[in-house]
Amino acid sequence: MRGIFLIMLLLLVPLSGCLERLEVATESVECIPVEPGRTGDGTLRIITYDIAAFSEEMFATFTNQTGYDIEVIRADDAGGILETMLQTQQAPQADLAVGLDNTYLQTAIDFCLLQAHSENTTAVDSSALEPYGGPLAVPFDRGDVCLNYDESIVDGTNLTAPTSLWNLTEDAWKGKTAFPSPLTSSPGRAFMVATIDYFENDADNTTDAFDWWKAMAENDAIVTSGWTEAYEIHYSGGYGEWVEGHLGDAALTVSYCHSPGVEAYYSGNWTKSTSVTLPRSTFHQIEYAGIVNGATEVEAANAFMAYLLTEEINRNMPENNLMQSVLTNATWPEADGYRYHTDEPTLNAEITVERIGAEMETWLLNWSEATV
Amino acid sequence: MNHKERFRLAGVPVTHWIAVVAVITLGLVPLTLSLLRLWAVTGITPLGALLNVHEHPGAMEALKFSVLEATASMLLTVIIGLPLAWAFGRYRWKRLRLKRALLFLPFVTPPVVAAVGFLALFSPDGLVYRMGFDLRGGSGIFGWLATVTGWSNPGHFVALVLAHVWFNLSLIIRFVEPVVAQIDPTWEEQLTLLPAGQTRWGRIKHLWLPLLGPATLVAATYTFFFSFTSFAMVKWLAPSSNTLESLLAEMGGTAGIAGYRIETSLAVLGIATLQMILMLVMLILAGRFERRHSQVLSMHQEVMNRERHGPPSKPWAWYVNGTIVLLLAPLVSVVIASFRVRTASASGAAYRWTLEGWRRAWAGDFSTVPVVDALTNSLTYATMTLIVALPLGYAVASCLVTLRTRGHRRVAGLLDSLCMLPLSMSAVMVGLGMVVGILRWFPPMFSFPYLPVLPHIMLVLPFVIRLMVPAIERIDPMYAEQAALLPMTRMAFWWHSRGSFLLVPATMAASLCLAFSLGEFGATFLVVRVGSWDSLSILVDQVASRPKFDPYVFPTAMALATMLMVVTLLVLSLNEQVRTWRSRHDL
Repeated sequence: MRGIFLIMLLLLVPLSGCLERLEVATESVECIPVEPGRTGDGTLRIITYDIAAFSEEMFATFTNQTGYDIEVIRADDAGGILETMLQTQQAPQADLAVGLDNTYLQTAIDFCLLQAHSENTTAVDSSALEPYGGPLAVPFDRGDVCLNYDESIVDGTNLTAPTSLWNLTEDAWKGKTAFPSPLTSSPGRAFMVATIDYFENDADNTTDAFDWWKAMAENDAIVTSGWTEAYEIHYSGGYGEWVEGHLGDAALTVSYCHSPGVEAYYSGNWTKSTSVTLPRSTFHQIEYAGIVNGATEVEAANAFMAYLLTEEINRNMPENNLMQSVLTNATWPEADGYRYHTDEPTLNAEITVERIGAEMETWLLNWSEATV
Repeated sequence: MNHKERFRLAGVPVTHWIAVVAVITLGLVPLTLSLLRLWAVTGITPLGALLNVHEHPGAMEALKFSVLEATASMLLTVIIGLPLAWAFGRYRWKRLRLKRALLFLPFVTPPVVAAVGFLALFSPDGLVYRMGFDLRGGSGIFGWLATVTGWSNPGHFVALVLAHVWFNLSLIIRFVEPVVAQIDPTWEEQLTLLPAGQTRWGRIKHLWLPLLGPATLVAATYTFFFSFTSFAMVKWLAPSSNTLESLLAEMGGTAGIAGYRIETSLAVLGIATLQMILMLVMLILAGRFERRHSQVLSMHQEVMNRERHGPPSKPWAWYVNGTIVLLLAPLVSVVIASFRVRTASASGAAYRWTLEGWRRAWAGDFSTVPVVDALTNSLTYATMTLIVALPLGYAVASCLVTLRTRGHRRVAGLLDSLCMLPLSMSAVMVGLGMVVGILRWFPPMFSFPYLPVLPHIMLVLPFVIRLMVPAIERIDPMYAEQAALLPMTRMAFWWHSRGSFLLVPATMAASLCLAFSLGEFGATFLVVRVGSWDSLSILVDQVASRPKFDPYVFPTAMALATMLMVVTLLVLSLNEQVRTWRSRHDL
């Protein structure tokens, strides 16, 4: 055992200079098409996370219509998709990436991970093309990330609904808010981006988003690794209270503006959750499909993107993927109060995907420092 | 030099040397490559990262929590386990083999099954909750405790410690019971005649403490070790806290990518180095205690000892049998929860019986891999782990024994240490070695369909070698000398001089390989973050992690966990049947 110790010590000896630092230049680099990572076999390989929108029937219909089989490579989440694509950039394993959102898309573009598609996006609502309408990705679903609160606790007597994000730093809210970490959660990341725009456009020029996050940390805000922990375990206003391991110690959390609608849809038109739609405190999250640079089955990938945007698939996003369709005139379903309990944001955060891509690393570092 | 000697080096066949090199390479390469990768990406050495580890958000809290929960788990395991092992080793028990198998069951249960089993037990529909203890929520005595002490989520901590005790009790039984069962009974009788042995405390102080102390220390150290590196239980039972292991798992998938989230790579490098050093210290301690433990072993007929002490008294019978029933509770809870679904409305939640969870588990829904694929993956990985690890482990063990018997003790010691290297890495660290050490340097490995087999083999090999070495050492060389006189093929010679004597340890090693691979969670968890190598363990976690707007998510996850539990137990019982049959017919 002493031998192991010696070997490990040797591994840890600082031999600075032995290794050159690996760095990647991402600015002003012209993307070069990557050679396909494999030979074509008529199978479309899709990299995605555990997306609920896919079903056996859906894939079977696509195969019947186009003749292409589908193989799914499942990463953990949107971050996992990006990281796998980054690592397999020189030997791409997938043809199509489904699930990168507008907080990750620009990084994928900057690293030349995507190639142009030939899909016609005329059926897509123009607002869904605002964050990114270029040739490298098409939107397939969307939703607005915003704060949700428990109306049974935030009843105007015990607690009052916030009219400014600074309200949440007051004593009354001490320890009663839960946020998914932007380091590990897509909704968490989206909300952090919203706070940056919110505080850049408020009346106070002396403070920024990270001052607010610092104040929130000092006010005992709960930070969780993922959305599930924040919503299910800590949030008292959601379905979590019927779920194993529920704590219910937070009356407010980050979710979607349509989460109360989903709650009602699954609980017979009943919910005690509602959303906060303060201007610029919400983030219009859009999920994209994009063809991988170095894809083998490009034609199949284009066909699947077109298929994702068909009426029969995309209109059913609210029921199948709990997100809104990107097609024009999309509405939330009326059934069981889904639409009734869904709030529309007054003004979403206005931060471009280019700026998100350029500044995300710095924001995440600042956020980490603010919340330590 | 004759034909036989030509292919040998220091008396060891070349093929065995190749196996030794392969095992050392498998243990060293992923770890070294991952450290080099993180070093290259961050531009900071492992030592530099270690010195700055306190600057990373959550790292010091994770270290504190890891030490606290592991210490509490260790103490409670010893408090509950020591009397259990003592009584179990001392008295004549009915159905001893069955009881022993049940006491060891938690150790072979896949950790993710145990974790969701405890979750079901503590849930609003579970037994513990119904008894008035809300360990997972904030009400009742734990809510009061939180308010009075300011300690957030004390119930989570207690739930985690209880789960660790459940998992590690078998370690105390494994180390302490044989000492009690085989102790020379005259020692106790003689002591009672002496002044120091007149009182119970005197006998404990002068006999039991010196005898059981080293074995207890070994078991306690391993309990601390396993609790410190536990991942599935922390993930599910203490979701608001992180251990070093769960923090590594959380960040590991992002680490090692050039030009992307460098601060995460730096944190992973620092935390992994810290974790590795702490684990090495624990293993060195365990090794020392183990040597002291082997010095106090007294060999005496176990059956005669048990007969001498007779059946247990009622309190002891209640204690041991009651503990066995409690050990089964989480497993039974998994099965029950797979048939229960909540219905929520404004008036509250109610639970009813349903088969829908099982139907959905079997049908799948394309947001995860189908259960048949996950099951096939699990069984394939387990079989491949067995096929590779068992012969490799045998070859290495044989090499080490030959070197020792030929007087090359220092070489054998060094090779032994090198082969044990994966022991100093937790499952998540091994997964990190695969993701950061292998996949980041060699991206084409993403298309290698059996990637998870590598960490499984790495993690199980040290245990196989540890089982095989003493078994080979016990074989009398006379058998080889006598077989050499007979006209037989090389294979027949090997079988009659060695192979047939290794059936029992080989079957035990095979069980270990299968159980370990089927239940492995930490390493695979990291690997599947970046690719489709989902096993049944991972599928349980994925389904249980889904948003539970849909009330059938939990019963579906529980149905999958039940499937994994049944498959593991079936494979292990099949192996046990083979071992019993071979022992009866061959030996």
